[in-house]
Amino acid sequence: MDAIKIENLVKKYKNGVKALNDLNLIVKKGEIFSLLGPNGAGKSSLINILTTYYKKTSGKTFIFEKEIDEKPAWVRSKIACVSQNISIDEHMSLVENMIFQSKLYKIDAHTAKNRIDTLIKQFELQSYLKYPVASYSGGIKRRLDIAMHMVSNPKILFLDEPTTGLDISSRKNLWEIIKKIQHDFKTTIFLTTHYLEEAEMLSDTICIINEGKEIACGSYLELEKYIPQNIVKIGFLNEKLAEKSYNFLKNQKNNLNINLQKKYIFINISQDKKVFEIILNKLLVNKFSFESAEIVKPKLEDIFLKLTEVERRTSSEYNQYIIA
Amino acid sequence: MNIINILLRNIKWRFQNPISILLTIIQPLLWLVLYSTIAGQFMKETMNVNYVSFILPGIMVLVTFSCCSSGGYINFIMKSKGSFQRILISPVRRSDIVLGQIFEAVSLSIFEAFILVLISLFFSVRIESGILGILLLIVPIFFSAFFMAGISYTISLKLPNEVIYETVMSLVILFLFFMSTALFPTENVSVFFRVLLTLNPFVYSINFLRSLILENTINWNSFFIMTIIFSVLCIIIFFVSVKTLEKQTDS
Repeated sequence: MDAIKIENLVKKYKNGVKALNDLNLIVKKGEIFSLLGPNGAGKSSLINILTTYYKKTSGKTFIFEKEIDEKPAWVRSKIACVSQNISIDEHMSLVENMIFQSKLYKIDAHTAKNRIDTLIKQFELQSYLKYPVASYSGGIKRRLDIAMHMVSNPKILFLDEPTTGLDISSRKNLWEIIKKIQHDFKTTIFLTTHYLEEAEMLSDTICIINEGKEIACGSYLELEKYIPQNIVKIGFLNEKLAEKSYNFLKNQKNNLNINLQKKYIFINISQDKKVFEIILNKLLVNKFSFESAEIVKPKLEDIFLKLTEVERRTSSEYNQYIIA
Repeated sequence: MNIINILLRNIKWRFQNPISILLTIIQPLLWLVLYSTIAGQFMKETMNVNYVSFILPGIMVLVTFSCCSSGGYINFIMKSKGSFQRILISPVRRSDIVLGQIFEAVSLSIFEAFILVLISLFFSVRIESGILGILLLIVPIFFSAFFMAGISYTISLKLPNEVIYETVMSLVILFLFFMSTALFPTENVSVFFRVLLTLNPFVYSINFLRSLILENTINWNSFFIMTIIFSVLCIIIFFVSVKTLEKQTDS
């Protein structure tokens, strides 16, 4: 059974802005599904519709095969949404926040207590129980925010940019927690994020949308096909050696797309990895010693930028090469 | 019962932020203590009652305005913190959310109105209608607060930010307060103005409160008129508030 199914979804706001434009998506039960897109792509609009906060203009949206508009109360009982703003009440204690949330979902006191105890342990919040919530760091507040949303044992957990504004250590802790939620609670996770390595690391399925339309959907391996190139990166002891090797390879009549950058040589080898062996063999036989050799695969960032046609940054080695 | 769940949460917020209690009572308190003392000296000649006793009902209604206005302000805090959306996408009935917030404003209004009554005792004010009269003070405060809290709640959902909300609420409160019998008797005012006063529902709760404080018998006629008018208004504002909340998900 699909956890979420979206067919020809359109969202047009009263001011005329079309946030979603004939969008189609499927999220499988139990998977971590990441939604990527540049600012204004329609990610938040989509989450707001799926969580019953906004009404759609047209199209069909199903949560576990039930149309959201027809059964909003039922849908609300099956989902939880951790929004961009941390929504815990700072005037209440950690446990009071969780009890309040459990009462919103009409969970009986005994079940709620058991769940709260389990979640406090699972999310490693025991040591914070005696401190006021307002004194927690951003990372701990976010951890409590997610734990609180798990009190209702949702079948789908929406995480709208949950790691924005967190330091790298808190972010990594949160990644562990997201994996734990999927593994221990069998919860389907619908994630939006601006950190592409986050999506790459966590997701079973990644979907890239732009201007309210899906551009590409699939596992990371499936998305790789959008950039059918691998790059060989060979490192030398110094720039002089690199230049010598570069000239040698250039003079070989092999039509290689080859580039020199300081003490590195980059070679486009498409998908044919045998070329990698041939190049290294040629260098070794002709006594061109090198320090390192690797195949640089396109990163999700590269795929994302290519698909969304956003101005390319030169941060990744892959892009450095492509631009060069 | 989610009404109680939301009510207790908001009461907890109120007591964790005592400044919000102080700010809502300070202005009515100044009216009661300073204005009544100064204006009372001029009013001695035209009235044969203690002026503090006379304006206490109006000040009690003014404190409910203040508390209810502050209740609507909570919506802006909740929206900025994200808990507004969290509650709205939970399986809670919209009517429970509205009632939970309205009852918090009503509870605070009753609490602060009785503080004003206690303080006024030091200014020789006596509740002439006795114990039953003291208990009946709750009824007009409840009705006034419920209606005003509904208005504040609806306005807070309609307006884009707290600055505009505060400006609009100040206008509403000042208009309702000065277009009432809070500060002066109606005997000497023109017919036109007297007709205008009958359109302000809070005049009926002020008049009934005044009868409880100044008269030694309970004016049941005034009680029933006030109850009927406010019951209708409270039901209307409750449905308007729920509809306005439902429209929040209709962007």
